[in-house]
Amino acid sequence: MKSIYTAISILCIYLLLTGCVKKEILDEIYLIESIGFDHSKEKSNKGMIVGTILYPIYQPDQPPKNKTLTAEAHIKKSVLQEIQLQSANPIVTGSMEIVLFSKELATNEGVLELIDPFQRDPAVGSGLYLAVVDGEAKELMEGNYGIRGNATYFSNLIENNIKNEDLPKTNLHKFLFSYYQKGQTPFMPQLKRISKEKVLLNGICFFKHGKIVHTISPQEMFFFRLLVDKYSNGLHRVKIDEGEAAIRSIRSVHRFKLTNRFPKEVTVQIKVHGIINEYTGTKVTPKVIDSLQKEFEKEIDEECKKLIESFKENKIDPIGFGHFMKTQIRNFDLTDWTDSQFQNLIVKLEPDVTIAEAGVIE
Amino acid sequence: MKSPLLKKNQKMQELVKILKKSNDFKHVQYMNEQTEEHFSLMFMSTMVEEKIIHESILPFLLEGNFHRLEDVKKIVPLEEIEFSEDPLEIEKKLFNGFVVLLLEKEKNNYCFLGAHKEVGRTIGVPEVEFSVIGPKESFVESIEQNLNLVRKRIPVKDLIIEEQTIGKYSKTKVAILYLENMANTENVNTVRQRLQEIEFDQITDSSYIIQIISDNQNSPFPQLLDTERPDRVSSSIIEGKVAIIVDGSPHVLIGPTTLVEFFSSFEDYFLNWLISSFFRLIRFFAVMFSILVTPVYVATLSYHYELIPRDLLNALVASRMAIPFPPILEALFLELTIELLREAGARLPTKVGQTIGIVGGIVIGTASVEAGLTSNVLLIIIALAALASFTTPVYRIGNTIRLLRFPFLFFAELWGFLGIVLSFCILLIHLSRLTSLGRPYLEPLYPPRRVDFKDALIRLSFKHQTKRPLFLNSKKPERISAKKAKEKKDIDE
Repeated sequence: MKSIYTAISILCIYLLLTGCVKKEILDEIYLIESIGFDHSKEKSNKGMIVGTILYPIYQPDQPPKNKTLTAEAHIKKSVLQEIQLQSANPIVTGSMEIVLFSKELATNEGVLELIDPFQRDPAVGSGLYLAVVDGEAKELMEGNYGIRGNATYFSNLIENNIKNEDLPKTNLHKFLFSYYQKGQTPFMPQLKRISKEKVLLNGICFFKHGKIVHTISPQEMFFFRLLVDKYSNGLHRVKIDEGEAAIRSIRSVHRFKLTNRFPKEVTVQIKVHGIINEYTGTKVTPKVIDSLQKEFEKEIDEECKKLIESFKENKIDPIGFGHFMKTQIRNFDLTDWTDSQFQNLIVKLEPDVTIAEAGVIE
Repeated sequence: MKSPLLKKNQKMQELVKILKKSNDFKHVQYMNEQTEEHFSLMFMSTMVEEKIIHESILPFLLEGNFHRLEDVKKIVPLEEIEFSEDPLEIEKKLFNGFVVLLLEKEKNNYCFLGAHKEVGRTIGVPEVEFSVIGPKESFVESIEQNLNLVRKRIPVKDLIIEEQTIGKYSKTKVAILYLENMANTENVNTVRQRLQEIEFDQITDSSYIIQIISDNQNSPFPQLLDTERPDRVSSSIIEGKVAIIVDGSPHVLIGPTTLVEFFSSFEDYFLNWLISSFFRLIRFFAVMFSILVTPVYVATLSYHYELIPRDLLNALVASRMAIPFPPILEALFLELTIELLREAGARLPTKVGQTIGIVGGIVIGTASVEAGLTSNVLLIIIALAALASFTTPVYRIGNTIRLLRFPFLFFAELWGFLGIVLSFCILLIHLSRLTSLGRPYLEPLYPPRRVDFKDALIRLSFKHQTKRPLFLNSKKPERISAKKAKEKKDIDE
């Protein structure tokens, strides 16, 4: 009797749970690795969005082939539906690496509506990279970069620059965090297609209300990273009278301090520990190191101030001074932070560079 | 009413009538040369050693001076001489290798002279539980020899050997071994009672006993440990466990036992504790791997493509490109192939068995990949899983693990990882309810007993083995005094 009950209950579980999971056999689906969004070029379709998906076709003993499909629609999910009409297998978003927006689209229309579905999709992780394309996203995606597929190439490019170079940490999570954080505005890296097989990381785009308002060059990225990210390990050239040196920062710490309340003044302490990678002069003496340190400090001070000035001009706050003020001052009003209060904020810099090593051939 | 004497005679004649149908029954008449007493000998020629009859019995009976049956004890130089008036005893003794002596004068009295023939193999090297280090003796089929192997390892009066006969036809001798003031009385009573209550016509091997007296006969998990190593048995007895030796079986049962004991080889105690702990952990990993890897493959490929690392996608998809089956059929095909190979390998004689390895490994494996029936990734996975299932030191649990894979596979196909978790829950529920001779089977994991972890997933050094396993509830829980176990300092220092 007991075994009959067991059998019945197992049968019930079987019947009740059968619909709970959706079967998606790996080789019978198209795994989108990247989506790109552009403006529609055709005049009749004005205001519509061109969506391009990139998925790999895997082959034995060969690198995966990149394949793209394109469709036009008003919002993102319907782009996928339109594309589905062209594909033989169901399209799934679970292994997406990067979402690309053309600069034109991001400047005029904004990206918020397009990002929204990704934050709702449970299959998409928050580590997804977002990037702006200087040019057309479709064109960039149709190139052929690296042997592991285009999307992997893009995401490795960004990952590598975050880990080892000057790009501050950025992904879907970070973007949404700084977007929803009061007193802070988001940013995205910018990619540019150079040729059919080359792509370049050529700056950072800053957003306000989901639209690009400002862009900085790769040279400025190093200083931007010193201001926003904890550890920076970028390379920077410093020129002194004796010669020119390339200094690699191995460790950097930045600290904000509210030094004055009326008028509001924030001091940013930036500590950089670096090593000399390359030196064109004759010999690295303690005197040279000293002057290198001084020169570097001066440069950090100037460049960072320039950056902050440009942010003030564009009424954006990617560093999050507003957020910092709110943590320091009770009942701090952030409603018109970037428009009025940020403009009057005095930012002082206290760079402190230590060069710990000058190479093994001493 | 017949007189009891007549009745006895009648019974005797009936017995002889049946016995005479067998050709190996011998009934010979003799006469003593001195006293001219007529006597006869009855024996089964297949069960007695004829040398003993010719050298130690007949010369003395023919030439010695005896008038009554009792005199035999004085003239025949044998240890086993018994007397009885019960004709039923004759049957029993005849088939146990005794010679029955009948005196013409004393029809109602029988004398039994022991002349057993020892047939059987000699003690050899353990084949199932071979260990490179440690004793190389293993049990044989004869219960006397097996008892001897254990007794000589525990030469104390506390070692109790209780024998009983089970099986209506097989009349198998079964012995319970335990240490009087060590083993928990409850455990001993449980074993004794369960053995006494066995109603079965034949007990061919100790495996029969395992299956009949197990707490839960519907469980795929063995609930008594069987071993062919006398050292393992004696060590278990000293721990406070009960051993069951069955005549005719080279495998001795040990109970109560726990699940983790099935993953500990006795060689673990011969190696340094660090090394043996490492091997134990490897074995546990191998078992989990063996059970879970194929279901995880099926579940991931059918449901959870998101979990596959980016760099692995190419290898996985490319290897499955040309395969016409869904992952489950592919996996079942290979799993069944491995099972077939194992089954065929076990049935074939050793010399032919080698061919099976070649056929299985090269022909079926490579060919099925080339023919596009299975992916080479899965082939590697299945081969590894099969290999891992053979790492268990006790053969019985290895079979259990092979069986467990299939329900996991089935549920993984139905509901993906949800199914694997569900089957794991069912397995855990089953295991936590299981008992061995009434003692928890999953101990020390459940119920959690910290002290017993000293010899479970890992084996700590002997310095830490100061207590007997808690679940045995031994009468002497202290093995050695913990104080004395501490390292002593060198006097020179």
